Amino acid sequence: MGLKEFVTRRIIQIVVLYFAIATMLFFLFRAAPGDPLAAYIGTGFTEEQAAQIRATFGLDQPLHVQYWKYMTSLVTFNFGLSYITGDPVWGIIQDRIWNTLVLMGTSVVLAYLIGVPFGAYLAWNRGTKRERFGVVFALISRSAPVFWTGLLGIWIFSFKLGWLPAGSMSQPGVTYSSKLAQFTSPSFLRHLILPALVQAFYFYSLPALLMRNSMLEVMNEDFVDFAELKGISDFAVMLKHAARNALLPIVTAFAVAAGFAVGGSVVLETVFAWPGLGREMVRAVIANDYPVAQATFLILAGLVLIANFLADLAYGYLDPRITYD
Amino acid sequence: MTLLEVNDLHVTYAGDPDVEAVRGVSFTLEEGETLGIVGESGCGKTTLAQAIMGALPDNGRITGGEIIFDGQDITHLSNRERREIRWERMSMISQSAMNSLDPVYRVKDQIKEAIQEHRDVSDAKSYERARELMELVGLDPDRVEDYPHQLSGGMRQRVIIAMSLALDPDLIIADEPTTALDVIIQEQILYRIKELQRELGNSMVMVTHDISVVAETCDSMVVMYGGELMESGNVDEIFNNAHHPYTLGLQNAFPSVEGEKRDLTSIPGSPPDLSEPLEGCPFASRCPFAAPECEETVPVQEPVDGHRVRCHEPVPFEQIRDRSGEDETWLSQNKV
Repeated sequence: MGLKEFVTRRIIQIVVLYFAIATMLFFLFRAAPGDPLAAYIGTGFTEEQAAQIRATFGLDQPLHVQYWKYMTSLVTFNFGLSYITGDPVWGIIQDRIWNTLVLMGTSVVLAYLIGVPFGAYLAWNRGTKRERFGVVFALISRSAPVFWTGLLGIWIFSFKLGWLPAGSMSQPGVTYSSKLAQFTSPSFLRHLILPALVQAFYFYSLPALLMRNSMLEVMNEDFVDFAELKGISDFAVMLKHAARNALLPIVTAFAVAAGFAVGGSVVLETVFAWPGLGREMVRAVIANDYPVAQATFLILAGLVLIANFLADLAYGYLDPRITYD
Repeated sequence: MTLLEVNDLHVTYAGDPDVEAVRGVSFTLEEGETLGIVGESGCGKTTLAQAIMGALPDNGRITGGEIIFDGQDITHLSNRERREIRWERMSMISQSAMNSLDPVYRVKDQIKEAIQEHRDVSDAKSYERARELMELVGLDPDRVEDYPHQLSGGMRQRVIIAMSLALDPDLIIADEPTTALDVIIQEQILYRIKELQRELGNSMVMVTHDISVVAETCDSMVVMYGGELMESGNVDEIFNNAHHPYTLGLQNAFPSVEGEKRDLTSIPGSPPDLSEPLEGCPFASRCPFAAPECEETVPVQEPVDGHRVRCHEPVPFEQIRDRSGEDETWLSQNKV
């Protein structure tokens, strides 16, 4: 059994892929128009001062030196300084990684917790009105863009009903001793509910519709009939045999969902003023803040790669027919 | 004692149009005996087996007659009540045994599931039982740790047989238990089924299209055609003294291991369309002996020479028997 070998090989693949992505990012940013230090270097700067600032950021050095420095930063997490604020990039980002992970993690988990049973339910009620209504509902939520449902959610739950805060992550002025203390505070959870639900409302339909199809296929399998023959209750047959087998393709879709989640964080965090990676990325790109933009892209790419890897492992765990050769 | 009694059973599949797949079949099965149900594909054998098992497809319904199992009328039991009998008192070796095992669970878990669903047995005890059953069907007990895809087709079939014996049911229904296997394995599996049944004393219904399987394994037999029963009775009796042209035709169509070497003759044509009500004998259109009355009135089942035949006897039975042995009888008929 080559599980160890499989994991090693996948990790090597991920590392190579990661460095390829990093290289592409490096050149894409260099190819982008505009002077990255335009915002930093005011109009009152002399030519000398400007050159000195360029030197501080290493922009006076030849491209290959810049590239080498950049690549080593991937290992050391020393992504340099923000062109705008002058703060170390890693410091800015570190905090936001967790903010994004918590928000996106919650919405993806929520989406799967709702979507998978919902899809199974639809399959089980094949041919009924409930099923048709459910499918249409899933398609509607799949077609509704997050920036629209987000605004709708804010309008209803914040402005009209006043139940939930409209955005950001915590009340202004409150500080917490640690990230964990913040994430477990009631105020944070109140802020989390709306954006997480809005995103989950979009995400759940993918696993739901996939699960429905997959269930319908599995329900025709002989082993499901045979389980019924054995005198096992309908519910247990559906759960233990049909749903368990139908789950396999859903796991693969999880990797796709993780990619969407990362991409989606850009829109969602902008709508809800969530201080996460997505919003930071948008800010950094608009402001030509190379180091921050590069670093956010890299971290997001890394998250997608890791999610794919985990989906691969889960698949092998769930389906005994998979071998790692 | 009679274990299973089926009286004038009708089964209909809802659809457009409805299909009446079983049309008034009756037979009895004595305790410890094996009954063969034989006929071509599409003659209602599997439907009959599923109706007895209470496992008809969703659109299938018993529309007449009754099934009496061990003195209890089980024709119209609720799903729940049926489920309790199923596997505990009657189990089934299904047609598609190759794909009847769930690919994501180990063999031991699937056998344990069958046991523990019905009985309050500890994990350790049902595991022991699973190993014991594996040995019983001639498999290495250590293979209970395997997943289905690690077993060959014949092994999987044996696992299904093991499972059908798990609760020592009174009745085992084997629906074409060997069709998916190659001939050598078929022989082994059939032999093993028969041996186990003798050892354990369960009653059995063997559904097959292969009349020679019936000859080898059964005590009594029922010949079905077009959802109806054509001839029934003791196996020796029917093999040595078949009356019905269809039974004789089936015998010609399968090779016999022991008998003299001869050419096989198939019965021209195909089974009737069961979505239409039949007038007359369902076999009339393919029967080389058919007379006008065969196409007009439905024959009734009558006792003849120690078994039951459903035939108008257009020609005396002795002649039918003699002439059905000749190829020309079957080939010369002009009917479709």
